[in-house]
Amino acid sequence: MATRIEVLAPPEDGRGKTLEKALKKQGKDVKIRVVDVYSSEHAMANDEKFVTSLVNPVTQKANDLPKDFDWALEIGFLPGVTDNIGHTTSELLALAGADNDNECYSSRLYLIKGDLSQSDIERLSESLSNTLIQRVSIKTAGEFNADGGMETVIPKVHLDNKGVVADDVDLNVSDEELEIIGNQGIADSDGSRRGPLGMSLLYMQAVRDYFAKEARPAKDIELETIAQTWSEHCKHTIFASPIDDVKDGLYKGYIKRATKEIREAKGENDICVSVFSDNAGGIIFDDEYLITDKVETHNSPSALDPFGGAITGIVGVNRDCIGFGQGAKPVINRYGFCLADPRTSPEYYRDSAKTTPVLPPETIMKGVVEGVEAGGNQSGIPTPQGFVTFDDRFVGKPLVFVGTIGLIPRTINGKPGHEKKANAGDKIVVAGGRVGRDGIHGATFSSVALDEGSPATAVQIGDPITQKKMSDAIIKEIRDLGLYTAITDNGAGGMSSSIGEMAEQSGGFHVELEKVPLKYPGMAPWEIWISESQERMTMAVPPENTDELIALLAKRGVEATVVGTYTDDERAKITYHGEIIMDMEMDFLHDGNPETPLTTTFTRGGEKEPNLPAPTDHEQTLHDMLGRLNICSKEFISTQYDHNVQGSAVLGPLQGPGRVYAESSITKPVLTSEKGVVLSQGLFPLYSDIDTGAMAAAGVDLSVRNAVAAGVDLNQLALLDNFCWCSSDEPERLGQLKRAVEAIYEIAVKYETPFISGKDSMFNDFKGFDKDGKQVKISAPPTLLASSIGVIPNVDRAISLAPKAVGDLVYLLGETKDELGASEYYDLHGKLGNNVPETDSHQNLRLYKLYGRASRDKLIASAYALNFGGLGVALAKKAIAGQMGMDIDLSAIDLPHEKALYSESTGRILVTVAPQNKAKFEKNFKGFEHCTHIGHIAYGNRLNIQNVLKADIEKLDEAYKKPLREY
Amino acid sequence: MTANALVLAGYGLNCEEETLHAFEYAGLKGSIRHINDVIENPKELDNAQILAIPGGFSYGDDTGAGNAYAQKIKLALWDKLQDFIARDTLTIGICNGCQITANLGLVPAFDKNYGERLVAVTHNLTARYQCRWIDLKITNNSPWLDGVETMHIPVAHGEGRFMMSDDTLEKLKKDGHIAAVYTKDGEPANGEFPYNPNGSVADIAAITDKTGRILTLMPHPERGMFTWQRDDYMEAKDKAQREGKTLPETADGILLFQNAARYFEVAQKKTA
Repeated sequence: MATRIEVLAPPEDGRGKTLEKALKKQGKDVKIRVVDVYSSEHAMANDEKFVTSLVNPVTQKANDLPKDFDWALEIGFLPGVTDNIGHTTSELLALAGADNDNECYSSRLYLIKGDLSQSDIERLSESLSNTLIQRVSIKTAGEFNADGGMETVIPKVHLDNKGVVADDVDLNVSDEELEIIGNQGIADSDGSRRGPLGMSLLYMQAVRDYFAKEARPAKDIELETIAQTWSEHCKHTIFASPIDDVKDGLYKGYIKRATKEIREAKGENDICVSVFSDNAGGIIFDDEYLITDKVETHNSPSALDPFGGAITGIVGVNRDCIGFGQGAKPVINRYGFCLADPRTSPEYYRDSAKTTPVLPPETIMKGVVEGVEAGGNQSGIPTPQGFVTFDDRFVGKPLVFVGTIGLIPRTINGKPGHEKKANAGDKIVVAGGRVGRDGIHGATFSSVALDEGSPATAVQIGDPITQKKMSDAIIKEIRDLGLYTAITDNGAGGMSSSIGEMAEQSGGFHVELEKVPLKYPGMAPWEIWISESQERMTMAVPPENTDELIALLAKRGVEATVVGTYTDDERAKITYHGEIIMDMEMDFLHDGNPETPLTTTFTRGGEKEPNLPAPTDHEQTLHDMLGRLNICSKEFISTQYDHNVQGSAVLGPLQGPGRVYAESSITKPVLTSEKGVVLSQGLFPLYSDIDTGAMAAAGVDLSVRNAVAAGVDLNQLALLDNFCWCSSDEPERLGQLKRAVEAIYEIAVKYETPFISGKDSMFNDFKGFDKDGKQVKISAPPTLLASSIGVIPNVDRAISLAPKAVGDLVYLLGETKDELGASEYYDLHGKLGNNVPETDSHQNLRLYKLYGRASRDKLIASAYALNFGGLGVALAKKAIAGQMGMDIDLSAIDLPHEKALYSESTGRILVTVAPQNKAKFEKNFKGFEHCTHIGHIAYGNRLNIQNVLKADIEKLDEAYKKPLREY
Repeated sequence: MTANALVLAGYGLNCEEETLHAFEYAGLKGSIRHINDVIENPKELDNAQILAIPGGFSYGDDTGAGNAYAQKIKLALWDKLQDFIARDTLTIGICNGCQITANLGLVPAFDKNYGERLVAVTHNLTARYQCRWIDLKITNNSPWLDGVETMHIPVAHGEGRFMMSDDTLEKLKKDGHIAAVYTKDGEPANGEFPYNPNGSVADIAAITDKTGRILTLMPHPERGMFTWQRDDYMEAKDKAQREGKTLPETADGILLFQNAARYFEVAQKKTA
């Protein structure tokens, strides 16, 4: 008998009030009561002690709903979807005396009073729920009363898979059939397909030949494992394949080579310790610690379930940190979103029948913002730095970047903290959450209806608290006991990846799959093996340590299980209840994928340079520029993200009394050290419409320049590259890619800023249908996100963007050229143009070195690295940040005013300097031709640009903050 | 012998390290203890003079912020905790710790009736997490707040809104339980966002029990204990440089922890 407990929140509840306010804006006057609902089949669920533990007697009431409402709307989870509240409720039930294996489920009921139609309620429910993962139930008050309330729903998973075994798959079939298996998946006995393996015919033939040699049919789990291991997601085949005349491929031929050359050139000043070999990259922080960094993307899941995709992304990249070396402590999170305009409602569908629309941009924005918020805040990791970039082509496939910086002692138990090795004989221990069908064939999700029998397999929702318990236990307690020899996280491919990769160190593995703890019975062996259920770490543990390790984790509420043994017999072997269901050569599994050489073409984009008339009202133009989505304030995100937990924030996301959303941050991860970690990022997707080389170089330059402007020395800076490309099977897109990679090789080597980690996502294309049912393909602009991380010797050297004192002198460092191609200014006028900013790395290097000296000598009062919207926007942001007037003279810049103001030439920094430092400052830059004195900080509340505009700072402030304020 | 601070951890609490650092910086000894270890060995409470429940997200705020963790303490540790507060000890609950202590009924505990839940700390009026710097006016004489008049420290919470019955509010006011209120330009914020960041009734940011030895507050003193942590650090640093001055190392937040240290120095002198 199922129990349903309804806990009524007070009328003043913030959640209800906020919803009322939102509806009021749509002209609907309603009153909303929020009811938290808990359901369980456990016999003890109606025990009074348990019920009481769910109710705050000061404000809440249990099972006593008001009668005065017109509509009841309830939202709960579908079977198999992670229900974190339900999980905590289960723990409370256990505290009240029930056994630990009880299951509780949560849902939320809204009782709504007001004049709303059925379609109003449906619209409200759409805005509050996602039918991919949630069930919705709507009743009128009449129905509610007639039925005696809402139904008790127990979303338990029932899988009709009893006694499942691994199936044989016959690969001695025609090439056509092989291709079908690769594209659509293994056929079940009823003829239906299990979902794509994503393997080309060439790959399928290699697999067929391997099993012909082994003289036996392949098992389904073997095929699924090979597909995971060889996937673009895990193997990065596009970056690894020979491309044109570059035999080593883009990764080894450019990116890895850049790092190698830089490290050699820097010699004993090399800051790198661990690059490209682990879950994150690691550089020196001080004599005691390394800092690690990793940036991931979680694009496809975020398109379907923005909240789930983003939270899974952030807690996933946290695990990359926990899985670095012997385990690093997550100390900073960062984020980045590329989205469509949230104020628009473009109409696109995933299917030709137009039944599954893409989510509205506003829903996606709110969801991904919230996902990173929940994941980061609940994990107690500060999130001080990030960005949001908008372009309508991100409508079907938003880009969601998530990054985590870690801290790890350089020596742990007398061994280098970044080293690890699973040895033959070590036990395979998996710790954390249990395994369900989560994330199986995630990438292939389509509009399959979800019911009890098919839990939401593609969509995952992170559980930050389960992970936090595990992370604390491992990083803060167990790591330093030396109980494990290696650790890694479970991400894409689940255990098939984590165990497969670690087994490369020992030379093989033997997993006993029946030992893996499951969320629910009935899963097939291949599902258990490739499931991407979250919050799991895999460790290699010497047999004599397993009991102690498992007991220590249990004391912290974390389940851990021995699931097998690392071996050195060069075999990847799995048994299931004693039967061998996988037995392959390690070599074949990891390196058996045939090479696929790539060829490319490249055509520069762009249009004729437009001949725009000069603005008649420069002040209005500046307002328009400040209000553009790529420029305006994203403060609503910063205040939701806990940016000062761990007590480490030095320079946060909002700078100056005027709270300008900043592009770099400084954190002091070790409270007793004076050193700081400087972070920044740079990306210019729009520039790809003209030249991906310019796009990539500008991104790297900005991430470096932001960090340098904030006070870090160039030689203490490292980079991460994240490529988000589209249609990467087309020679032209590959040509764009090659050009971008060449560009970042050149600039990184010039700056001597090594790449320490990177990731790529190659098919950010939306394929669907428009409102007329016509087939469309919308490709995200080719995008490189460059992220920088550096160490500043003392946080008192930090430089913020806000001007500090009236009378200070304003200098523009760097050259302003006629470079408005793909700029925000041209885009404001609907133009693309041709003169995309070209990055002069030689000139920039000179500037950054000179700037470094000036910042070491503390000659700079404030600094801002120019980016979107150029000098005009930079001046306005400075005036807003400092809430101070400025007098500026552009006559030294030999361009028309609008070009001087809005050119996006890279390599420029706008600084203010105290008058007493004028002589020293100018001497510092002597011989550098692009150090231009353009004005001073003034009394009053105006930004005054001589012969151009006199703008009220209050109005600039409003133009800058208004567009996204209400989100 | 200096006093010993026990800082709780586990199940998603996450500010234990910086909170311990604050105590240690103030000259106290301390250690971080997982709640399960304290339950297993409750004697640890007997050896402590200060109990700190730090900020965090215990149980993910599920079923109400601080609720589940409070239930766990109540079921497994309540008697020992009663003994602890009956002694001449200090207790502080910060942010999630504030929600936990309120749910435990350690505050306001009228008539020393510890365990009665009278105040709720619930969803912000904005229904949004708020991470921002606020100003506080100190309004009672808890030993934690001795000599402190105002504080500029940050809040970071999704559920920081104090709610209670009118009777309880009246009594809180009358008996001097309200320890700090949010202010704008030195005056109570009168509910105005963002000065009052959560819609808390009567701008309440902190309350104490009758003795003042148990302080529960939503803002984070440990995130505003050093000058370099402050939101105006860049401005202050620049000004000091121009004037040839050196900035003080500490900021408002450290005062609470220094007061705790001083409380036990004084107590020791009395008994000596």
